[in-house]
Formats: sequence, structure tokens, C-alpha cells
Amino acid sequence: MLTRRLSLWLTDALMYGLLIGVSIFMILPFIWMVSTSLKPADEIFAIPPIIISSHSSLKAYAYLQEQYNILGIVRNTFVIAFSATILRLFFCALGGYGFAKFRFPGQGALFAFLLGTLVIPSAVTLVPIYIIMRNLKWIDTFWPLIIPGAANAFGIFFMRQYTMSVSNELMDAARIDGAGEFTIFWRIILPIIAPGLTSLGLIFFMGSWNDFIGPLIYLKSPEHFTLPLIIRSLVGPVGRTVYDVQMAASVISLIPLLIIFLIFQRRFVEGITAGAIKG
Amino acid sequence: MLGKKIFNLMGITLLIAVMLSACAPATTAATQPPATSAPASTSVVTEAPVATEAPTAAAKPSGKVTIWMWKAAHETLTKSGVLDAFKKEYPDVEVEVVEYAPTDVYQKLPLALQAGTGAPDISLVENSHLAQIVALGGLTDMTEWVKPYLDKMNAYKWADAKLDDKYYAMPWDSGPVVFYYRRDVFDAAGLPSDPDSVSKAVATWDDYFNVCKTIMEKTGSACFSNNKANNYGRLYEMMLWQQGLGYYNAEGKVTVDSPENIATLETLKKFWDANLTSDQLEWTDGWYAELAADTTAKPIATLVEAAWMGAFLKGWIAPGTEGKWGVALMPAMAEGQVRAANDGGSAFVIPEQSQNKEAAWALTEFLFGRVENQVAMFKSSDFFPSLEAAYADPVFSEPDPFFANEAVRPIYVDVVKDVPIAFVYGPHYPEMNGFVATAIQKVATGEMSAADALKEAADSIRSQTGMP
Amino acid sequence: MAETIIMPHSHLSPIAKLRRKGIEIFKARWAYLFISPFYILFLIFGVYPILFSLYLSFTEWKGLGPIKFVGLRNFELLLKDKVFWQSMTNGVFLFVLYVPLMTFMALVLAVILNSKRVRGFRFFRTLLFIPYIMNIVAAGFTFRLMLNQKYGLVNAMLGIFHIAPVPWLESVWGGRVSLCLLVIWAWLGYNMVIMLAGLQTIPSELTEAALIDGASSAQAFLYVTIPLMRPVILFSVVLSTMGSFNLFSEIYNLTNGGPMNATITPVIDIFNQAFGNFRLGYASAMAYLYFIILFALTLVQFRYFGQQAD
Repeated sequence: MLTRRLSLWLTDALMYGLLIGVSIFMILPFIWMVSTSLKPADEIFAIPPIIISSHSSLKAYAYLQEQYNILGIVRNTFVIAFSATILRLFFCALGGYGFAKFRFPGQGALFAFLLGTLVIPSAVTLVPIYIIMRNLKWIDTFWPLIIPGAANAFGIFFMRQYTMSVSNELMDAARIDGAGEFTIFWRIILPIIAPGLTSLGLIFFMGSWNDFIGPLIYLKSPEHFTLPLIIRSLVGPVGRTVYDVQMAASVISLIPLLIIFLIFQRRFVEGITAGAIKG
Repeated sequence: MLGKKIFNLMGITLLIAVMLSACAPATTAATQPPATSAPASTSVVTEAPVATEAPTAAAKPSGKVTIWMWKAAHETLTKSGVLDAFKKEYPDVEVEVVEYAPTDVYQKLPLALQAGTGAPDISLVENSHLAQIVALGGLTDMTEWVKPYLDKMNAYKWADAKLDDKYYAMPWDSGPVVFYYRRDVFDAAGLPSDPDSVSKAVATWDDYFNVCKTIMEKTGSACFSNNKANNYGRLYEMMLWQQGLGYYNAEGKVTVDSPENIATLETLKKFWDANLTSDQLEWTDGWYAELAADTTAKPIATLVEAAWMGAFLKGWIAPGTEGKWGVALMPAMAEGQVRAANDGGSAFVIPEQSQNKEAAWALTEFLFGRVENQVAMFKSSDFFPSLEAAYADPVFSEPDPFFANEAVRPIYVDVVKDVPIAFVYGPHYPEMNGFVATAIQKVATGEMSAADALKEAADSIRSQTGMP
Repeated sequence: MAETIIMPHSHLSPIAKLRRKGIEIFKARWAYLFISPFYILFLIFGVYPILFSLYLSFTEWKGLGPIKFVGLRNFELLLKDKVFWQSMTNGVFLFVLYVPLMTFMALVLAVILNSKRVRGFRFFRTLLFIPYIMNIVAAGFTFRLMLNQKYGLVNAMLGIFHIAPVPWLESVWGGRVSLCLLVIWAWLGYNMVIMLAGLQTIPSELTEAALIDGASSAQAFLYVTIPLMRPVILFSVVLSTMGSFNLFSEIYNLTNGGPMNATITPVIDIFNQAFGNFRLGYASAMAYLYFIILFALTLVQFRYFGQQAD
């Protein structure tokens, strides 16, 4: 009896210990990030490291706004992420609906072909897409970050799975009532698949917000930069790496996503796990 | 059934793809600037806002000129007042500077040149990357414009600007390499700390090695910093340069694994083996911290670097160490050999797609072709002019308080005249530097011998660049 | 998988078949309309680039000027390219270093959270998941700061336990381990959430039944939970495997392929060749070779796991 109690207690202690340990590992970089963003520059490399500086200030943040117009950058990032998400959702929802609820010649092959490209690493298309963008004169605009991604194979796969679970009766009933196909999609299907769209949208939004390689290749003028680019541009030899400012930019990059995540936690999780469970 | 359908689909896709591939990328060719614009004369003229000998047909240039450069360069332009002087003389030209770190320039400029759009009117480019960008294409042919200056600049600066007998860049500054050292550390080690004695003490790299040992024993300070695992290879390049060597030779053969190159690396290796170096990586905060430290914190004792480093130390890396530094000559490979090399230096290029080439050239020539402006910029930032006439200016004999009132500038002038022609930079520099830096890293961390590592690098370079 | 309805009219003449096919297509025109926006974009930005890239891999091109056809030369060079093969073996190293560890930890953490014994489910799940939403550039630099050999927080903390400063970013294996630390940090929460969802689909009666039958909790875990979780675990492992070769932003911002190419992955190498050396033909050839190898590996993985899963 006692040993069972003890072993249970030990197990509990172990489990909590592990949880807390890993949580600290997860949180530590954030703490360091915030702490660095508030420190004066000369304290960043102090030995021993200072966690909470007595000279904390929001200077780094102010500097970001003065020198780089960080709010404008946030706006850029948001505009891109939002547009890309909406476009992607629309295309994937429409396409997913087509694949899910209709029978048509070539359906299997078309879809298999789509899935096949999921295997192809994006590195293969890096150069050609750049050439296309160049010929379209879209370099240094937001378009390369919005348009190509709309044909997201994972997205259409996800939406197809999700839409398949919608019952056909509503659609049939609407058809009998004489509703046009597009109206059916817009008025009936969309509201039902909205939760799935939300989950997928969250993933897309986050992906676009944090995207680095796209902006790296396509955005040139500083006023068009997105947050990851700004963070990256604050580094570089010949001129100090302004760590405090860099960390401040990182914090700014994190906050909107954090807020969105905390509000939409459930949907986020659903979006991620749907692939694993239903797939 | 299904297979057939897939086949049909592939066929249709292929057809569409072939049709789309009809949009072939455009080719661009560099063109000559209009022959009517004669370059302004370079006589030493005060900043009276009088138009110099006006070009025959064109009126004074106007329009907006966008420049890409890094922060240090930008500050030089503003602080020295040359931009204001330019505005007075060319009131219709508006200058806008966009700041990018060098690595960003080397990423964005080529992309913009390839894309045919998005490039600035002028870009600052370090000599290390100049040849590669010139070889890429998309730059304005400046041959006619720079003709009068060909013999007025340091000779070795033109090599990277030239391709097929045409010139595509205008040099700004050079990087004559000298020996920076901390007087206070030398004092603490019981070594003489005046420049002449130090120059004698480090006459050769072997002598330098002994001096370093003394410093380490007596003060615990590292002699210089030379990171092992992430080494950039720049110090090694300076050592090659002073011997007139490089990654290839005048015939275009790869010399990365030549006996001399291997011997040079082995010389450097001695310092690592004897633990005389600091492991801080250049251009990181740890490195800056070690340069700026005072003697209680074991600062780095010496630094073999180019003249512009002096300005950086003064300006933002170690302003608190004023008066503690001295400048001597860099060590020679062997007794009696050359004690000069080059590291860095930069130039302006004008992309072919610029809409304001005239104005861009006007600015370029104003800044780099006129002695008074080069001198003004040097005064504010120690960017050492490639324009040799500038050296006659009195500022080049003035003592510098940062270096305990030593007259360091004559040293730079003497060194720059001794810099040999070397084969470090070139159109394949980034690739070659990448392979050799990896080799150096392997040698430094003891993974491979110098001969093996350099042979490996040389083989890769040969197969990847096609050079013999 | 959706499939077309098979029309049992194979006795018709070819023209009649074609006509019937035409009617089918016409009847389904709305479907085509719906999928066409997506598919058109997909063809332009998905398929065409893939084909163009294939074409480029047989050429030499700087992005400017003429495209030069060079046949198989790029592939010949690739076979001799030590850096490329290093990048492939790095992928393997990285895979071995972090995939098993991360998958195992994700599973264990998920089990812990799922067990009724621990309170604060929401709280911990959120905490563990947050790194996933963090911008990887910022994360890379933060880690770089923290792992600095002399001034970093991690070595300072290790120093409290009298452990010598670790050359996190200064040595070959240190670099790889640092990279894995970053990747695990970023993705552990994500994988844990997947495992959690999988666990929650397992009816608790099964484990309870096993426990009643006299199995210990460990045995129940091993012989009931894990087999049922196999598809989920497979999903997580496949994602991570593909990830270990495709890492770009993490590496670019933490180690940039160093030290000594210890953390270079094929994607970084392709990027460098294309946008650093302007060898677009070579980069395309590299991308294709990489794709072929990866494809073969994936096939092997599926065959192996497929047989195991029965």
C-alpha cells in the first residue's frame, strides 16, 4: 500500500518534473528575447548574463519606429499574410469542394497528380518561379508572396477531406429548389466548412507571417520589407549587430501571432491534427 | 483506364508548359554612355558653385540618384559634407541613400541586375565582390568616363573593375594593410611600444610569433583573433596578397594548393597550435568587446588590418581606448620581403538599367575624382582614397590622437604604394573564398593538414569553376 | 481516393465512346469550373516551374545573358561535388540526431498531458506549443545569442554546474547539436499536439481493459497505446524526415551551413549556388538530383513502414 502510494507519487513528480523542465526549455528563449530587447546595448554581453536589467527601457522599440518605421513593416506583413490567406482559402475551398462533391472524368488522375507534387521539394521550383516573377515585373512587389501560394496542395487536400464529410442532402435539396451551383457553394457549403477554413486559415496566416525565404528573394526596398526580413537585416558585419533592436523586432513579430493563437487555440489545434488523424 | 488518363493529362500539361516556355527571358547587353558627355576636369578647385567646363551637348544632369551603400559609407558622405557640396554644384540632382549591409547588397544587386528592374542608380561594392558582379553583366560601361583616372588611382584597383578591356566601376577607397597594436598591452608585457620598435620587432611573421608568445606569457592577452571553426579567411588572404600570390595566377591556373600557399597557411597554423589567438569571430559583438576591453580584461593585443579599421576602432568599436593604440608595418613573410597588402576597398558601379546615368556619374566623379572631396571623406572616416593625388594634402601628415599622436597616415600612404599585384579577388572570389575558408577551418580545428585541406579546396574549385 | 464512375459501355464504337465522354464532361462542367482557378495557378506556378527547372538543369546560366546548353555536365560535376554530398549526409545526421528524440519526447509529453494525473492541461499545452508560432529568424538569432561560447546564457548556466563552456557554434558536432536544439525547440510542441490528438482518439476502455487484465501501466502503454498510435507516429516521423532535409531558415539564421559545412542541407546549397554563385543551371540540376534521392528514400520508408503496419 505504501509502496504503491510512493511509486504513484514518484511517477507524478517525474511527470511534472519533465513537463516543467521542457516548458522552461521552451520559454527560456522568449524570456531572453524580451530581456535583451529591454537592455541597453552594452549590457547584452555582460558576464555573468543579466536577465533583468536595471536600465530597462523601451529605447530599442522607439528606435525601430524612428529608423525603420516598424509599424509600416507590421502593416506590410499583415497585408501580405491576410491577402495570401484569403486567396488561398478561397482557391482551396472551391477546388476542394469540386474534388469532394463531384464526379467527373479525370478526377482521380488530376488529384493524384496534385498530391504527387507535394513530394517535390520547393527548392526545385525556386529558380523558375523567380524567373517567372521577373518576367512579370513582380520583383519588389507583394504579388510573388500572394499569388503562387494560392495553389497550395496541402490546402486543397485538407479542404477536400473536410468537405467530404458534409452531408449531400443539403446540396441535393438546394439543387431541387433550383439554386445555381455557385450559390450552393457560397451560401450552403461555405458556412458549414467555416471551422475547417478557420483552422486552415490560421496555419496559412502564420506561415505567411513568418515566411522568410520568399521575402528574402523578392522584396528589395526597405519600405516593402516584412518582419522576418527586418530582423535579418539588423545583422551584418561592418556595423554592429544591434541585438537589442533585433530582439525588439522579434518581440513585435511575435505579439500579434500570440494574440491570434490564444484566441483561436482550438481551431489551430484542429487544423494541425486533422492532417494526422483524418489523413 | 486510370493509367491512360494520367498519360493524357501529362500530355496536356506538357503542351501548356511548352507554350508557356515561349516567354524566354530577355537578354541585356551593356551599352556605351553617350559620347557627348565629357568628364569634368579634376583640378583642385574650391567649392565655388561654378559649373566646370560644361559638357558639349548635355545640360547639367538632373534627376534623382539612388545609392545603395552600407551605414559606414553613408555616414562618411553626410558627415564629411561632400553631399552638401555636391548639392551646391548640382542643384538639380537629388541624392537618396538606401542603407544595406554588404552581404545584402551582394544578394540584392545581382538579383536586381538579373531581373532588369529594381537596381539603384549607383551601388557601392567591395573589391572582393566587384569582379563577380562585373562578370554577371548588367552594369554600365564606364570606360570613356574613367579614362582620365586610369593612371591617377592605385593601379591594383582597376583589375577588378575591368572586363574585356572595358571598365565598369570607379574606385573609392583602398585598404592598405598595417599592423595595429595596443601600446598598453605591449607595455605590460615589457615590450617597447613605440611604432618604430614595434615595426622592427615584428619584421617577419616568425618574429611576430615570438612577440605573441611573450605577450601571452606576460599578460595572458591573445595576440589577435582568428576564429577556428568559422574563419572567414581574410587574414590568410592578406598574407597571400603581400607575397603577390592568390587563389590563382596570371595564367588563370588555380594556385590554392601551390607549395607557397600551403606554406603560408602553415605559418598561420603555428599561432593556433600555440594557443596565441582568441577564438572570437570577426565582426561579432564578442570580437568588438575584446578589442575595446582595457588591460584588466585581457584585450586583443594586435590586429593586422586595413586602414579603414582605424576609423572603425575610433568611431564605434573601441572609442574608449583612445591613445592606447599604435600603428606599425605588417610583418613580412621573410626577411626583406614586402610588408604591404590590401584588404577590401570599394567602388561605385552604375547599373545599366539606371535612368539617371549622367547624374550618377556626375556624383561618382565629384566624390572620387576630386581631391578635395576624397580628402574631406578621409578626414571624417579614414576611408583611404584610391586617388593618389590626394596624398599630397596636409591631412596625410597629421598626427592622430587616437594613436597617441602618431603620424599614422604617412604609413598608409607608404604601404599603399608597396601593395603588390595579387590574385585574391576576381570573378570567382566568393566561391573560392568559400572553399578555402572551409579548408582553413579544417586546418585550424586540427581536422586536416594544410596540404590536404588546400588540395581538397583546390580540386573543388577546379571542377566547379573549370579553371585548370 | 475518389474515382470516376466506370461506365459499362465498352461495346460501343469509339465515336460513341467519345461522345459519351463529352457528355460526361459537359455534365460535370461545374466541377471543372470549381477546380480550375486552383488548377490553373497550379499549372503555372507548380508544374511549369518543375519542367522549366528540368530544362535548366541541362544548361549553364547566370540569370542574365544567353542560356548555354551543356548536356549532362552539371550532373557530372554534381557527382564530384563534395559539398553537395556533405549536405546529403548532413541530412542523415540531422535526421538521426533529432527525429527519434523529438518523436519520442512528443509522445511521452503527450501521454503525460493526456493522463488524468496532471493538472493544467491547457496551460502546458499552450506553453509547449508557443515556439511553433515564433518567427524562425528571430528564434535563430536568439539561439545564436544564447549559445555564444563566451557570452551566452547557456554556457553561463552550465558554468554554475562547473561544466566547461561548450563550443556550441564553434565545432562540427556542436553546430549540428545546436541546430537540432533549435529544431526540436521549434517543433516539439507541434508534434506533441499531433500525438495528443491521436491519443484522444484511442478509447480509454482499451487501456482500462488491459489494466484490468493485469497489465502494468508500462505494458499497457507499450502493447496497447503505441500500436494504436502507429499511423499518427508515422505521420509525425514522415513530416520530420522531410523536414530534416528541407531545413532552410533555421540554418540560414543560426549557422549558415557552418562550421565547415557541418550544417549545410541540400536546400541551403541550392540557394547558395543559385543566388550566391549565380549558377542557375547547376542549382537546378542539384535540385533535381536531390529530389530524385529524396523520392527514392520516401518510397523506401513507406515500403518499410507499410509492411510493418500491415
